[in-house]
Amino acid sequence: MGLEPSRSDRVGVTDLVRRAQQGDRDAFQALYREHVGRVYALCLRLSADAVRAEELTQDAFVRAWERLASFSGESAFSSWMYRLTVNVVLQERRAARRRSVRVVTTDDPAAAERAERGEQGGAGGDATPGLSLDLERAVNALPPGAREVFVLHDIEGYRHEEIARLTGVAAGTSKAQLFRARRLLRGMLER
Amino acid sequence: MTGPENDAEFRDLLALVAKLPTSIEPPRDLWPGIEARIAGRREARTGKGWARRFPRWALVPLAAAAALALLLARRGGVSRHGAVWEVTRVAGLPRVGATPLAATGALRVGERLETDDSSRAVILVGDIGHVEVRPDTRIRLIRAQRTDHRLALDRGEIYAKVDAPPRLFFVETPAGTAVDLGCAYTLAVDSIGNGLIHVTGGYVELDRENRRSIIPLGFLAEMRRGFGPGTPYAEDAPDALRRALAALDFADAGAVAVRQVLAAARPEDAVSLWHVLGRVDPVLRQEVYDRLASLVPPPAGVTREGALRLDRAVLENYWTAIRRIAWRKAILKGIRDIDPRTGRAR
Repeated sequence: MGLEPSRSDRVGVTDLVRRAQQGDRDAFQALYREHVGRVYALCLRLSADAVRAEELTQDAFVRAWERLASFSGESAFSSWMYRLTVNVVLQERRAARRRSVRVVTTDDPAAAERAERGEQGGAGGDATPGLSLDLERAVNALPPGAREVFVLHDIEGYRHEEIARLTGVAAGTSKAQLFRARRLLRGMLER
Repeated sequence: MTGPENDAEFRDLLALVAKLPTSIEPPRDLWPGIEARIAGRREARTGKGWARRFPRWALVPLAAAAALALLLARRGGVSRHGAVWEVTRVAGLPRVGATPLAATGALRVGERLETDDSSRAVILVGDIGHVEVRPDTRIRLIRAQRTDHRLALDRGEIYAKVDAPPRLFFVETPAGTAVDLGCAYTLAVDSIGNGLIHVTGGYVELDRENRRSIIPLGFLAEMRRGFGPGTPYAEDAPDALRRALAALDFADAGAVAVRQVLAAARPEDAVSLWHVLGRVDPVLRQEVYDRLASLVPPPAGVTREGALRLDRAVLENYWTAIRRIAWRKAILKGIRDIDPRTGRAR
């Protein structure tokens, strides 16, 4: 996994990106078609909410359109796009936290237990049939902080230092959250 | 706290993680919403002098977009959910009833909007989308409710773009009703009431009495007065297949037409064959199923026996697999080479 460039990054996307940077909406649509599955998967796993994931995916591509001029091509377009997506999701979460009237901890350890009792349907579970279904559901049930770190580290391949920069927590906290996430997941999957 | 030692501890979990799909297709096409948002931003960025930078042919869609933007900007004076929709002139002199539409106006339930050979208009469909009314078209507003946005297209051509949950937007025609399942499409009706739909985003259902067709992105379907909707076919379907489907759907050509359909069908035409399955008698159905199964292998849970007795769950299971393949093929056209038998990239 990780953030290796896809095949199109190597053979054709540069031209598409250049055309999109010049305002060619068809080219941008082609980029959208190429990357939407990965971006949506990222939004779905980070938000654990299928409807919100659609909105976040749209937000990410609109943001990408606005910032295309700043993409210099030093990294693969896919890497730039996925990092931008992570930023969109995390910013939205921070904004939602600020909007929250009640003072609550954003990490809700009870969520995992609720999911184990079947009280929370996994938004992403339906989209990934087969063996991965239980894991997707379990990931969705993780407390938000632990889920973010798990998705970014174990699924998307980010390093703890990068996660720390993206989420604003210390690298040590990221490691602790990952350990917590893995332990919770293992517990859920073993039952 | 995490590192190689923890990775070893969680080896089984990480093995499962490695099997997770990196890509998940969203359940609906999100591009129309993105396009609408970036179109607004692009227009705002473009500023003055735009007319000099665009060729004349580009001005019609730009005018439609500008009219749409004008409508959106002006809304508020007219109820969004009442029995009135906003309409604006794009070109020429469309009429609402007998009244020429000078700039923008209202289309009320029961009223008719008509364009001549040089006029065009845009209707805002409540809060959920818009309809471009092309030249030589007559369209009526039948219902304007939050759960039922309904137009009747008597003749002419429209382009509809809707971003809403399924089954909120309907266009009635003399040969059937187009039911929006979250989509964009062009619908044309000729002077005797026959229609042709071309879906360019999402899915549309065509209904007429007991006949129903589901048209995915990249497919077309005819409708004929007295018959209802025909079988959908791919944009690039062979002519022989189109002719055979028309004979089957509208000329009662029976077994001969069915066998011509089967002979002409490619894996890309599985959507068509799936529809034919339910439209033929049990003997022919076996031939249709066998051909379909040879082109697109049935997914787990789809049995020959279940399909032949038209078991609803079995057919829907097969349909889900077929439409996903068609969807991937359409949206990744020109980007990835998708195997039409499996939907996987080759």
